[in-house]
Parts: sequence; C-alpha cells; structure tokens
Amino acid sequence: MNGSALFASLVLAYAGMLGFCLGKERHWKQLIDPRVSVRLRPLCAPIGAVLLCLAAFAALRVWPGGMALVGWFGAVSLAGFALLMLIPYAPRVVTMLPVLGGVIWAASLV
Amino acid sequence: MKGTLTQSMAWLHTWCGLLLGWVLFAIFLTGTLAVFDKEISWWMQPELIDRAQPASEAANLAHRWLTTHHPDESNWNVSLPSERSAALGVSVGERRRGGEGVTHLDPLTGDTLEPRETMGGNFFFRFHFSLNLPNMLGIWVVGLAAMAMLVALISGIVIHKKIFKEFFTFRPAKGQRSWLDAHNASAVLLLPFHLMITYTGLVIFFLIYMPAAVDALFEGDRQAYFSEAQPTLAAMRAGERTRPTEAPAAPLVPLGDLVARAEARFGPGMIGGLAVANPGRANAEVTVRPVLGHRIELTKGEAMVFNGVTGELIREPEASRTSQLIQQVMAGLHFAQFGGYPMRWLYFLCGLISSAMIATGLVLYTVKQRRQGTNHAFLKLVESLNVSVIAGLALACIALLWANRLLPTGLEGRLGWELRLFFGVWALTWAHGWVRKPMQAWREQLYAAAALALGLPALDVLTGSATDTVRLSLLACVVAMGLGLGWTAWKIPAVVAARKARAARTAPIDKTPQGVSS
Repeated sequence: MNGSALFASLVLAYAGMLGFCLGKERHWKQLIDPRVSVRLRPLCAPIGAVLLCLAAFAALRVWPGGMALVGWFGAVSLAGFALLMLIPYAPRVVTMLPVLGGVIWAASLV
Repeated sequence: MKGTLTQSMAWLHTWCGLLLGWVLFAIFLTGTLAVFDKEISWWMQPELIDRAQPASEAANLAHRWLTTHHPDESNWNVSLPSERSAALGVSVGERRRGGEGVTHLDPLTGDTLEPRETMGGNFFFRFHFSLNLPNMLGIWVVGLAAMAMLVALISGIVIHKKIFKEFFTFRPAKGQRSWLDAHNASAVLLLPFHLMITYTGLVIFFLIYMPAAVDALFEGDRQAYFSEAQPTLAAMRAGERTRPTEAPAAPLVPLGDLVARAEARFGPGMIGGLAVANPGRANAEVTVRPVLGHRIELTKGEAMVFNGVTGELIREPEASRTSQLIQQVMAGLHFAQFGGYPMRWLYFLCGLISSAMIATGLVLYTVKQRRQGTNHAFLKLVESLNVSVIAGLALACIALLWANRLLPTGLEGRLGWELRLFFGVWALTWAHGWVRKPMQAWREQLYAAAALALGLPALDVLTGSATDTVRLSLLACVVAMGLGLGWTAWKIPAVVAARKARAARTAPIDKTPQGVSS
C-alpha cells in the first residue's frame, strides 16, 4: 500500500474542497485576513478544481482505476465534511491544514 | 399531499424519513460496524493468536495436521490466516456446513485451539440486512427502508433550497438551525456515498426484490440463470456431484506450493482458503480461493483448481458475463472488500456520517415539532423512540462486546446468551427512554454507552486477552467513539440552556410565526 500517495491524496482532496469553500464570499470573509486582496477570491474555485484533479491522480497511485475513483469520491466527501466541522470550531486550523500536510508530505519524501 | 411541489416533497421527506428512519439508523449503524466484521470477530475470540505466519507455511502446517488426523476423509477444507484475521481453521467433509466442525490450529505450532463461541462481528453484518427477523421478513423490511431512503434522498434534494450556497455551512449552538445545517451538510457532502450504498444495497437482493425478469427468461429456474452466467463454474459444480471417490493412492502435492502459486496470480496475502477433494488419491483436486477484494466486483466462488498430484493448473477463474459483472460490481461496491484498509476506513467513516445524517434528521423532527407545540403524545413517542434507537442501539452494540468478555467461555448456548444480552440491553433502553424525560434519557444512555466504551480496555486487560495490532486498533477505535458519545452527552445541558435563554429572549417579541426554512 502506497502510504505517501494516500496521504497526498487526502491532503489534496482537503485543499481542493478548501479552494471551493474560499471561492464563496461568506467563507472568504470568515477565514481570510482582510488585508488579503479580494481580487484573489475568484481564483479559489479553479485552483480547487485543479487540486481535486491532483487528488485523483494521487489516488491512482494508491489503487487501480475503478477503486481509485471510489476512493477519490470517499476522500473528497470526507475532506469536505472535515472542513465543514473545522470552520466553526477551529477556524485558524482550516487554512493551516493543507500547508501543514504539504510540509509533512514533503518531509516524508526527503 | 398538498400545495406546491416543494410542499408535497417536504411532506414526503418528513414521513419517509421519520417512519423508516429508525430502521434505517439501525441498518446503517450496524452496517458501518460490519465494515470491520472480521476484526471484531478476531477481538471476540481472544484465544486465537496472531503468529504472523505466511499463508503458504500455514497451508503446509494444515496439510501435515490433516494427513495425521484425517487421512481417509474425502474432503479437506482449510481457511488460511490473512491480514484481517490471522486464524487458521481446518475442517473435513462438505464445505457447505459453514462454521460447524471447524478446528482452529495455532499457525506456528499446530496445536489445536479452542476459541470461545461468539456471535462475532458477523452479527452486525447479518443484523444489518435481516434485522434478526425470521425467514425473509427482515430482508423485505430492509428493502422497504432502502426504497424509503432513496425517496428521502431525492425529495431531500428537491426541498433543499441552497445546496451550493450552503455547501460548507454549519452554524453550531443555534437550535433548529444547527440541526438542519448538520443534517443538510452530512447529506449533501456525502450524497454520492448515500446514493451508492443504498442503491447497491437493493441490487444485492435483486432476485428477491425483483425476480420477474429472471423468472420469465429462465422459466422460474434460477439456477439456470447462474449456470448461464458462469458456465465453467456450473460444470465444475456438476462434476463435483458425480466424481467417483475410489482411485489408487497417490501423494498429495505440498499445499504451501499451490498457495504460493495462487498468490502469484491474486497477490500476496490474498488467499482465503483451499479445499482438497480426495486427498491422497490419484484423482485429488485442490481448489484455492482468494479472499474477496482483489478487485471491486464481488467474486464469490472464484477459484483456481489444481491437480492434486501433479500440481498442474486445471482451471483458472473465468471472467463474468456483462449482466452478471454489473451486478457483481454493484454488490462489490456495497460489500467494500476491495482496496485494503484505507478503503475500509473510508467506508467506515462515510457510514458513520450516514448514520449521523439519519440521526440528525430524526432529532430535527422533534426539535421542529417542539417549537410548533403540536400533539404531545405523538411527540413523546417519537422522542423516546429516537433515544432508544440512536443512543440505545449504540449502548447495546458496546454491551455486546462486554457480554463477549463477561459470559463464561464454556457456557452452553453461548451465542444465544450474547444475543439475549444485546437485545435485552436494547429493550431496557426502550423502557428507560419511555420513563425518563427526553433530555435526561439522552444524557443517561449516551453516558452509559460512553462509560462502557471507555471501560472496554480495562475489561480487556482484566480478562487477560492477547494483544496485537488488530485488537489494539479496535480498542482505540471504541475508546475514540466513547469519547465522542461522552462529549455529546456532556454538551447537552449547554444546548438546553442556550435554547431556554433564547426562548426567554425572543418570546416577548416573536409573536408572528416564522417561516420554517428547510
């Protein structure tokens, strides 16, 4: 079992859902420092879509074709739910998590 | 039904969801636990020890044991240790007899072990589609509930006004608003899972729920349908019935070698068991079966057949025909035997959230009705049912794990006693839910379940069980769920206080009834 790819797939699924989430005005105001330019907001959803595609690519490294699709759906759904629960209870963690995940993943490669 | 489409859909959603929601919650929760059925069974038989033996070594050991103890039997069956269950079991005679007469061996030393009789994780699996009702009744009730689930899902999508706008919205501690948010979010974010698991659940029993097409095409002969779908397998089964047993003696090829060859085909650790026909005779045949799960489709009966003397491969697994394949892929998606532990965890977590979705829906009904102040007798019934189905079932499931450790190992009819304790505890929660006020009943039952869950490791240590990764993971998982249950119970007074404060604050001003947003 390819643990590194699995971890990457989960982090990317979360980051992708976070992208879609930040694309919405309400959540942008909730989660992003007001000093950050609002003009970046429309970029969030497309970036999220790209990240979800990358999550699918990572899932293909964990499982063969059909199973990867099932796993990807599961990872994306659960990542979205985790995000949903984190927003009200731990808003600071929400945007930190993908960064942290990325660092851990990179460190595990080295 | 009345008024606009949205109104009639809301009516449909409410009544489908409420009347079958209790059954659905029980199905989903036990089904979720059944994802780890073998791990639960392994924990429930602490006499079995994980020796980390490769399957081929274990097969050789079983070979030696059977040669010594049952040289003259016409059929040997071996179930091999695998990643999920490290047990080595041997039996002789017809395989159809199920668990009866299986001898457990220590995979390292070959000593016979005597694990306690237990319902095991299999109980959750069986309960989730049969509800332990006699005959086919349970299967029909579950089918009806699954149809209601589909209806509730579709009507739920129709009446949800802001699916995309509120995709990530959850506002806790706001009474009805929060329950609705939680219900919506868990439903919308996991919608692919809800639809998939419900629909595929129905497809598994297609021959029971919708037999007309197959019956018409094959004139009521259902065996003919399966034979046409898998001709070689059918021929093999027919051959089994007529094969003569008398043949000259000949040495049996080492079973470990055949297991190693089958592993090359199905993958290491993917061999579930083997069956030997006519061992020690010239017409010996060895059937090696993979565990389910090296592909998505549910491939029951798939096997490689070897000549038992020369080791020559007689038959490879055949590909299924398209119609059968689609059915098997759907069943496989439901059974979730593929993709290893990561996939199992994804299914488990998705299942837990599905159960939570149903639970929040049930609670939401009472929250709404309480605000509108309607029919008290019916509301009391619903509330007490909610408590005993949601918190009570959780309590009963954990009580089953306790019963497994507390009942004497040599007890006559031990399986029945485990069952009686499970249903007994559940029945008590019904009584308790009826007698106590709803909030107290919720808290007490959730606390009881949390206490049992958190105490399980202590019980495990006191009853002196073997520990290994699977058993420790199970305990960790139960403790985590215990913390979740305890946290929920602990939060309830705060929620009630907030509600009372809000009611006191808004009551003087809020005279006009608010539009119920759903």
